[in-house]
Amino acid sequence: MGSLSRAYGRPLASLIAGIAVAWILVLILVPLGAMVEQSLWWREAKGDISLTIDRLYNDISLIELDRSSETDPAKQAAFDQSLTEKQAEIATLEAQEKDPPKTYGLANFTRMSGLHFYIFVRTIFYALLVTALALVVCYPVAYVVALASGPRKAIILMVALIVPYAINELLRVYAWLMILDYRGVINGVLQWMGFINLDAREWIPFLENPSAVFLAMIYTYVLFMVFPMVNTLETLDRNQIEAARDLGASTFRIHRRVIIPHAKPGIAVGCIMTFMLSAGSYSVPAIMTRGQGGDWFSQLVYRQFYESNNWNMGSAYAVSLLVVCTAFILLMMRLFGVGLRDIAK
Amino acid sequence: MRGKDVRLDQVSIRFGDSTAVQPTDLAIHAGEFFSILGPSGCGKTTLLRTISGFIEPTEGRVLIGGEDMAGKGPNERPTALIFQNLALFPLMSVAENVAFGLEARGMRKAERLKRAEELLELVALNGYGDKRPADLSGGQRQRVAIARALAVEPAVLLLDEPLSALDLKLRQHMRSELRAIQKRVGITFIYITHDQGEALAMSDRVAVMSRGRLEQVADADTLYAEPATPFVATFVGEQNVLRGTVTSLADSLAALDTPIGRIEGRVKGPIRLGEEALLMVRPERIVLGPGGVNTVAARLAARNLEGPSVHLHCAAAGQTLTVTVPNGPAVRELPEELTLSFGVDDALVYPMGALAHG
Repeated sequence: MGSLSRAYGRPLASLIAGIAVAWILVLILVPLGAMVEQSLWWREAKGDISLTIDRLYNDISLIELDRSSETDPAKQAAFDQSLTEKQAEIATLEAQEKDPPKTYGLANFTRMSGLHFYIFVRTIFYALLVTALALVVCYPVAYVVALASGPRKAIILMVALIVPYAINELLRVYAWLMILDYRGVINGVLQWMGFINLDAREWIPFLENPSAVFLAMIYTYVLFMVFPMVNTLETLDRNQIEAARDLGASTFRIHRRVIIPHAKPGIAVGCIMTFMLSAGSYSVPAIMTRGQGGDWFSQLVYRQFYESNNWNMGSAYAVSLLVVCTAFILLMMRLFGVGLRDIAK
Repeated sequence: MRGKDVRLDQVSIRFGDSTAVQPTDLAIHAGEFFSILGPSGCGKTTLLRTISGFIEPTEGRVLIGGEDMAGKGPNERPTALIFQNLALFPLMSVAENVAFGLEARGMRKAERLKRAEELLELVALNGYGDKRPADLSGGQRQRVAIARALAVEPAVLLLDEPLSALDLKLRQHMRSELRAIQKRVGITFIYITHDQGEALAMSDRVAVMSRGRLEQVADADTLYAEPATPFVATFVGEQNVLRGTVTSLADSLAALDTPIGRIEGRVKGPIRLGEEALLMVRPERIVLGPGGVNTVAARLAARNLEGPSVHLHCAAAGQTLTVTVPNGPAVRELPEELTLSFGVDDALVYPMGALAHG
């Protein structure tokens, strides 16, 4: 702050600091804090509370009936007293029914059902698989783009990569749906070639298999894997590749010993981005599986919020996913030996 | 390690429409320190990359040790290349860098690291194996690059201006170092440079290259004393260049009518009577006072102290002549009007042609 105000003067320095604080607050602390707070409490919605209230109203009616036929003032007073007691009890219970008390704890996290936990683990596994497949697909692409000789060729390749991203993600996913559907493009071609008969329902059920989701996801997130890798690969001194070749190294060894170590930060960033996006993707599994290929965890989060209307549980699910994703980032950074500094580059 | 000879047989290299190297014949002897000297863009790096196998010649053949290298990649040739920026692997240790070529040949780790240590000793870097290239100084990195190239036991070591990134003192030190290493390992060194000082100081022979063509191939002394073309004459060392008309021509001697008078000199190319020609005299071949056959009256215009020597810039008939004389008390008290002279042997007459500087 001191050096900032020396460089820009006090008003501008406070403005810069203010923007930084607002940024951290609005983009990180407040939304994250709200989500974590939401996940840490629940309201004890006891189903029998309404029943107890109903019973108390019945009791009151009975007591009132008994009291109206009673003539002894002493007994009347006893009835009145039990009436006021019951009414007070009703008042507290009704207050509870309307606004159940918050209870803080970790129950939202521990209450996850076995099935949901299985889906959680499976989603993480699938996301890892998508990341690995995307890496395998994207590395050669990034290599070719980054080392394309001549600026014109590089521009053409880059545009070819970016153009699909000008189309809305949903449209691209639906396009894959059309391709892989029972009566989709591939099955249509197979029928035209005479391998299957669609009218006899002989189609290949691509969409009932998680690989359909993988395919659409890799297609959707390719760029997030390619771009960071291209960035790091572009900074590689080509002389190093030539030097390695000159020293007799095979292409495989050049990649393993020279190019991949150099591209590590890019690979780490690409993997992190792809993993985060695929682990948290809602639209791709929702569209591609159509309930046939098994849910992804993001769909469960959605349902907790909008179908079960249990925002606390939904928040807990979302936070769990966040924790695992963060752990993945840290693991990747450790695995690739890259620090935040390398990633920021 | 044994050196091999390198022969270029009518090698020419074209990129699209532009010709980088004109058809060239060149024989480099085994075990020789051979330099290719030329200004940037003259095609010397292209020639080097052709020998190392990164570029296939458009026409002609490259022979190393008598073997035709056509179709052989850089990893299949008995050559090793030292890049201008060295291209050390920054993420590997110095020892791993040096051992990389051996690793590529499948040598076991313990063995290749031992060999790397030996090579580091050869370049006086023992004990630096665990460091990263970035931790070393420019000169040390240079030596790592040499050790890395020598590790694969090449018969020919190709060096692409490896000293250009170093500062002057270090560059001069590395010259003698390189020469010493070459003597020790005894293989053929082909050294590319635009710095004539490097080429003349280190090489057994030097090829001067210009516009994709070899102008002259000779040892350093010949190159300096008997340049074959106007380009070589002006590119290597300093020259006083005068234009004149040939007035007499006999055997290897000619007389030129120049702005500073009639000058006699030795003929170094095909010239004809009555035509224009170039006359060149080295500044240090001109002496003060009469004595030589060619005498010129001049006025001292400026004096530049170079340390051991002094450059005198003299005006004579609208021409500037530079004279280099040894520094001493006499130089400080020169009269303004001077008589300059030089011998017939010191004046070289060339046909008109391209010069190194405009």
